[in-house]
Formats: sequence, C-alpha cells, structure tokens
Amino acid sequence: MNGTSEKKVILQLRKLKKNFPIKRGVLLKALNDVSFSIYEGEKFGVVGESGCGKSTLGRVILQLYKQTSGSCVYYGKSFEDINPAYVKKEIAKLPEYQKKAGEFYNESVKIDLKISELESQKASFDADGNSKDAKKQDKISKKIDLLSYQSKELKKNASRQLREGSRTVGSLILCKNIKEIQVLFEQAYAHTTKVHNLLEEMKKVDANYQKSIVESGASKNETSRKKSVALKAKLTLLEENAAKNREKARELHTQAFRYRNIDILPITELTNQQEYRDKLDNNYESGINLSKLTNREMRPIRKEMQMIFQDPAASLDPRQSIGSAIEEVFKINSEYSREVRREKTMELLEKVGLKREYYYSFPHVLSGGQKQRVGIARAIALNTNFVVLDEAVSALDVSVQAQVLQLLQDLSDEYHLTYFFITHDLGVVKHFCDRILVMYLGNTCELGNSKDLFSTPLHPYTKSLLASVPRPTVHRDREMDEILQGEVPSATNPPKGCPFHTRCSSCMDVCRSVRPTYTEALPNHFVACHLFSNQEEKQS
Amino acid sequence: MAKVLEVNHLVATFAIAKKEYQVLRDLSFYVDRGETLCIVGESGCGKSVTTLAVMDLLPNNGRIVSGSIKLNDTELVGMGKKERAGYRGSHMGMVFQEPMTALNPLLTIGHQLTESIILHRKVNKKEAYDIAIEYMKKVGMSNPEERMKQYPFQLSGGLRQRVLIAMVVSVNPELLIADEPTTALDVTIQKQVLQIIHKLKKEMDAGVLFITHDLGVVAEIADRVIVLYSGKKVEEGRVTDIFDHPRHPYTIGLLNAVPNVDLDTFEIKPIPGTFPSLTDDIKGCRFNPRCVFATERCRNEVPGETIVGDGHVAACFKVEEEENERNK
Repeated sequence: MNGTSEKKVILQLRKLKKNFPIKRGVLLKALNDVSFSIYEGEKFGVVGESGCGKSTLGRVILQLYKQTSGSCVYYGKSFEDINPAYVKKEIAKLPEYQKKAGEFYNESVKIDLKISELESQKASFDADGNSKDAKKQDKISKKIDLLSYQSKELKKNASRQLREGSRTVGSLILCKNIKEIQVLFEQAYAHTTKVHNLLEEMKKVDANYQKSIVESGASKNETSRKKSVALKAKLTLLEENAAKNREKARELHTQAFRYRNIDILPITELTNQQEYRDKLDNNYESGINLSKLTNREMRPIRKEMQMIFQDPAASLDPRQSIGSAIEEVFKINSEYSREVRREKTMELLEKVGLKREYYYSFPHVLSGGQKQRVGIARAIALNTNFVVLDEAVSALDVSVQAQVLQLLQDLSDEYHLTYFFITHDLGVVKHFCDRILVMYLGNTCELGNSKDLFSTPLHPYTKSLLASVPRPTVHRDREMDEILQGEVPSATNPPKGCPFHTRCSSCMDVCRSVRPTYTEALPNHFVACHLFSNQEEKQS
Repeated sequence: MAKVLEVNHLVATFAIAKKEYQVLRDLSFYVDRGETLCIVGESGCGKSVTTLAVMDLLPNNGRIVSGSIKLNDTELVGMGKKERAGYRGSHMGMVFQEPMTALNPLLTIGHQLTESIILHRKVNKKEAYDIAIEYMKKVGMSNPEERMKQYPFQLSGGLRQRVLIAMVVSVNPELLIADEPTTALDVTIQKQVLQIIHKLKKEMDAGVLFITHDLGVVAEIADRVIVLYSGKKVEEGRVTDIFDHPRHPYTIGLLNAVPNVDLDTFEIKPIPGTFPSLTDDIKGCRFNPRCVFATERCRNEVPGETIVGDGHVAACFKVEEEENERNK
C-alpha cells in the first residue's frame, strides 16, 4: 500500500471547520481543523462515536452544509469543465490581499514598538519600590497584555490574507510584480473560459452528430450523410480551437510562475524563509474549491458526488414506485427519451441485484436490504465517481449487510467509484475500507491504512475503541477492566487541549493545555496525540 | 439449577387481514437462575415477539395459540388479566431498545424510578428514594442525587439506558428481559452497559433473557444461545458450542457474515436470498430457499431437533444425517 502517494487525489480538505450556532454566543464545534486527502478509487472509512462529526463531515464535503472556514478542493473536474466565477474574483482581489497583509503587519509592528516602549517604562518603575509605582506598573503590564494580543491578532490577519491569496497563485502573492502576475492570470482565465465555452458547444454539436449518424445509417440518405460529415468537421475544428486556447492558458501560467522567488516583498518577517514560501505554494489550488462555487456551478458536480443514507425507507417516497424514483434521476439530469430512460432504469435494477419487475412496485414491498439497493441504484445512476455512504449498512441485518457490502465492492470495481464510508462499526470498515480515519469530537485522531490502523493503533482513543468492539468469538477471560469510562463531552464546550484527555488513560500535563498537532508518526499513518509528537521531537 | 423461566411448545400468531399467521412456531426454551440466555436472529425472526409473549404485551392482533410459559413453575398462559399484570414488573422486568421512548419526557428521573419501587416493593416515598439512589449507584451513575432531579432529555443515551436498568432491577425481579438494550448505543457505552447487566445478574441471582441481533454482543454476554429463524428455533447450545462448533447452516452462515475485527483477512460471504416474510408460505424447513444444502426432503418435511451434544440441539436434516453417520 505504499503506492497511495502516487495515486491521484480526488478530494482535498484543508483545515475544514464547521460550527453550528445553537443560541447567541454558543457554538457547537462540529468539525475542528479537519485536513486530509482522498485518493481516486479508494474506499475511505470514517469511524467514531455518535456526535464525533462524521456525518457532518460527509455533508460538508457534499456542500449540503456550508463550511465555516477551510477549503474542500475537488479534483474530479477541471476548471475547463466548470469555469467557476470565483476564480476571476480571486484574481481581481490579489493586490488587495497583498496590500491588506502589509497593512496589518505594519500596524502590528507599530504596536510591537509601543509594547517595547512600555516595557522599558515598566522597567524604570521597577527601580523604585513604592506602592504607587507598583500600581502603575500593574496598569502598564495590563496594557502590554492587551497590546500584545492585538498585535498577535493583526499578525494572524496578515497571514490569513496571504493564505487566501496563495490559494489562487501560490507563493507569487509575495511578489513585487503582483500586478503583472494578475494580468497574466486574468488572461489565462479568459482562455480557460473560452475553452469552457468551446467544450459546451462541442457537447451540443456532438449530440447532433450522433443523431445524424443514426439517421444516415437508417435512411441512407445523401443529404443526411453530408450533414453528418459537416458536423464532424465542425467538431474537429472546435476541438483544435479548444486545444489552442488550452495551450495558451498553460503558457501564461508558466510565464506567471517564472516570477516565483523573484522580487519578494518583505511583507512579514516570514516571507524571507523558503519554508514559508513552500507552504504558500502548497496552498495553490489546482482543483475546484467547492465552497466557493455558486449553486449553478455546483450542479454538474453534484451529479458526480452522491450520497446514500442510513435509513433506506426514509429516503424513498412511499407513494412513488421504485421505477419512477430511479427514473427521476434521468428525467432531471439527462435528455433521454422515455423508452431509453425506462430501459436504463431496468438495467440499473439488475445491476444492483433486483428483479426488473420491481420497476412497478412500491417501497413497502421491499425488505430493508432491497430498499438500500434502490438507494444505491439512484446514487450510481449518473456518472458518479464519489459516493458518501452515511451508515449505509448499519440498519441492515448481518446476512443482508454482507450482501450489500458485496454489491458496493463489485460496483466500485466496475465503475472505479470512490467511497467515503461513514460508520460506527469497526468490523465493517476494517474489511471494507482501504484507509480509515478515526474521529473524536470533531477532531481527527488517527488516519492510516486499515491494516496498519488495526495492527498498530497509535492513538489511545483508537485503542480503547478497538477494545470495546464486541467480537463474535468467545473468549472466556472477559477482560472487563480495560474499557473506556465516561462519555463523550459536549461539543459546545469541548475540553481544552487534547479533546480526548478527559477519558484518556495515558493523559499527561501537556494534554490538558495544548492541542496536539496532526503528525505523520509512521509512514502514511497520521496521529494527533502528544505521545507521538514528543517522541518525534526527542528523535530529531 | 432452578429454572426461572420455562417455555414449552409456544405457538403465537398474528392476524393480518383476517388471516392468522404463525410468528412463533413451537418454540421451547428455558432460563436458569443466574444465567444469561441470548436469543439471536435477524429482524422479523420473532425474537421480540417471544419477549412480548412472556411479558403478555402482545399487540391486539397477536395471541398465544398453544403452549405454556412457566415462571418459577407458575403457569402464566391462561392466567387472568389482573393476576398476570401483578407478575409484570415485580417478577419480571424488561429493558427496551430505545431508552428515550421508554421514559416519560415530562417526569423527572426520580419520579419515574420511585414510582415503580413504591408500587412493587410496597414502601413509602422516603424509603423508595433511598432504594432508588442505591440502585443508581449500582448502575454506575455519578452523583445520583443530582440525576434524580433531571429530566430524560438531559441525559445521554447510555445514561438513560442505565436509568431503565436501575428501574427494572430495583424491584428485584426473578427474570430480567433485555430487548436489544445496547443497539442504539455507541460501542464504548455498549460495553459499559453490558458490564453492568453482567454484574447485576450475578448480584441478584436472576435469570436474564437477552435479545440481540449482534453476534459480538452474544459472545460477550451469553451463557447459552438460541438461534431463531422465522419463528423457529434452529439451534440451541452453550455459547462455546454455538461459536466454536456451529452445526446449522444458518448459524454458520450468520457467523461467516459478521466482519470480525480480529481477523486480518475476511471474505464477505453473505447468505444468499432474503429473509422470509411472515406471510410467506414455505413448505418444509423455513430456511430451505436460502440453504445451499437443501434437498428434496428439506422442501417437504419440517426437521425435528437433533441432539448433537450436551445441551446442544440443531433442527436440520443435514445435521441429523451427520449424527446418524457418526453414531453408526
């Protein structure tokens, strides 16, 4: 499984946050800085107790919930396919980002100066020891606290501005020639727009062409044959044009990136560090940022990203026949004729292991497993490549659950689907998924290949979760002691430091105050725990 | 050991559209004092109906046609309604799957807990309060005095389930019936609750009838196991018999279908076909349409029970033949 790094990333999450406002001033922090990537064609599992944010995560990815901050970048479609408007806006804003970052930083520097001034004042009071001075000293130190907080916030704002800018241009945001870069990117964008329009036109022409082929084949008419030849010629012309524009856009981009590391502005103290610049370069998004798309731009992507829910009965209309429930997908998203739609639906029914006759039946006739199959049929009806399965097999009996899992496995092999598999059942994820993410209270605890995660669990939470799974083998020495005590704390008021420290058996002092960082403790095995960040420090 | 509950040849039916369909087909089992009997099976196999029949809580369209249910040698079938109600709660208590629906959202935990204690143990309010506190501690609730004043919505699922368990065991029943008590809970909480049930059973020396569909839970808590399929007992035995030497094809299929966390390799091996509906008319063995070993005989005759070991029984012609071979 070392090949994961070479696989194509389909979805990348960066510092994804989602807060639900409950009442004034109270936020439910459902997701807290979740970052990871999902590769094409993999089965990605998410486990955790109820309330850990796994369902929220699935929905935020599909943009069914708007995220609070962070980004969710989709690589399944290119800019040419969607041509999102936000890119233009972002390009226009580039100089503004740079300017604002500079302003914020300068202001913070000013405040820093003031702080050092005050500090020297405070030191001068130190010499005398009377009570009046002590009071003054107190006042000054309070002021210093306030100011240093302000300067910290300003610095944060500055780096935030730079980060936003770097999403569109990478580390170029630091360049002096930002105006020229902006022009280059604008031109490139214009070319991409052209490509997008050409592609749209090609789709239409292609449809006509296909039709004309069928017609000319049927009638053997000279005029219709000529028509099809003409259409074919038009198609190749459009294609050439698109390729030209695409090439131009690429050229402009490479031209722009020549500015990299040249004429860097000293916007903040970090800009001279290569590391920081690399970090900004890393932020560069070559995929589509789903959260910034308009609803209209999101529509074609929704076809590719589908969801299957836990309760199959609740996701079907009891008064709509199975056939029409599936056919609806084609009605809305395609232009097939009624006969084709029906045939396609029947084929789908067979594909998911149902009889063709069910086209006419209503949901109440079907058992739970069969209903879930209908849900699966609906999800894969279009050219889906990413499916979120929210506890899709949890409500099913074991024997049926295995059947549905088998079906999902076969479908993923056949259509090269990527699954985002949300569940609380560790047994199922272990054998079904390639990589597994363990979540706790909106935080990522551990991420690794399913084999590594189960053979060498690192995070104490993963360990205790594994220990409490009921196993279908009789082991007479019921080890009842090592179970996890207590319950999941409330997400409105999560514990300080590591979210798990209240229930952790190997809790240390740091855990109570500092949130652990998410590090790669073993190859391709990430963990957020002080036990491992410490070890790394010791080693290095 | 004394048998707390003994069920013999129980047949129960449900009337659907003026026709009666059998839900329990000639079901016999017993629960000893201080033991946990698990009934496993898929949804619709009659696990819950069994508990409802024992508790006399069958829905209006259901009735017991024949057979007997004995609690400590007292016959319950045919008993008057009022007398029967006296047994419910005081002699046998039940914990349900969904703790939120089993508790009244408008009354405090304390009110609901003491209510049953006052009713069944014939004590005054003060004593009932003390008993309630004692049992709250027994089920592992922190600061019980505080909890007594709270309402169900203020408790988490695990705590609610603990309250229900406390409510049931505070009356000292001889039989504790638990109908999927941990299905709605997270694994970590599930383990805690299972532990409590296990501990209380030992303390009270009562029998536990535990209903679940999760084979992992069965392995964790059961002493003996009954596998139910479509209202019929297909296999019965000690938990080690069932898990280490399952005999009935259905039990084997069920065990193979569970993804085991401990195994490194697992091949998904589902049982083909779907679970029969109550109204399906299947001749012979109810499992024959899904069974890979089904023969002509299975399609025509209902298999009897074959004893395959000490207290280990399977109802299958294939097992019967194998046993005959061995005994020759």
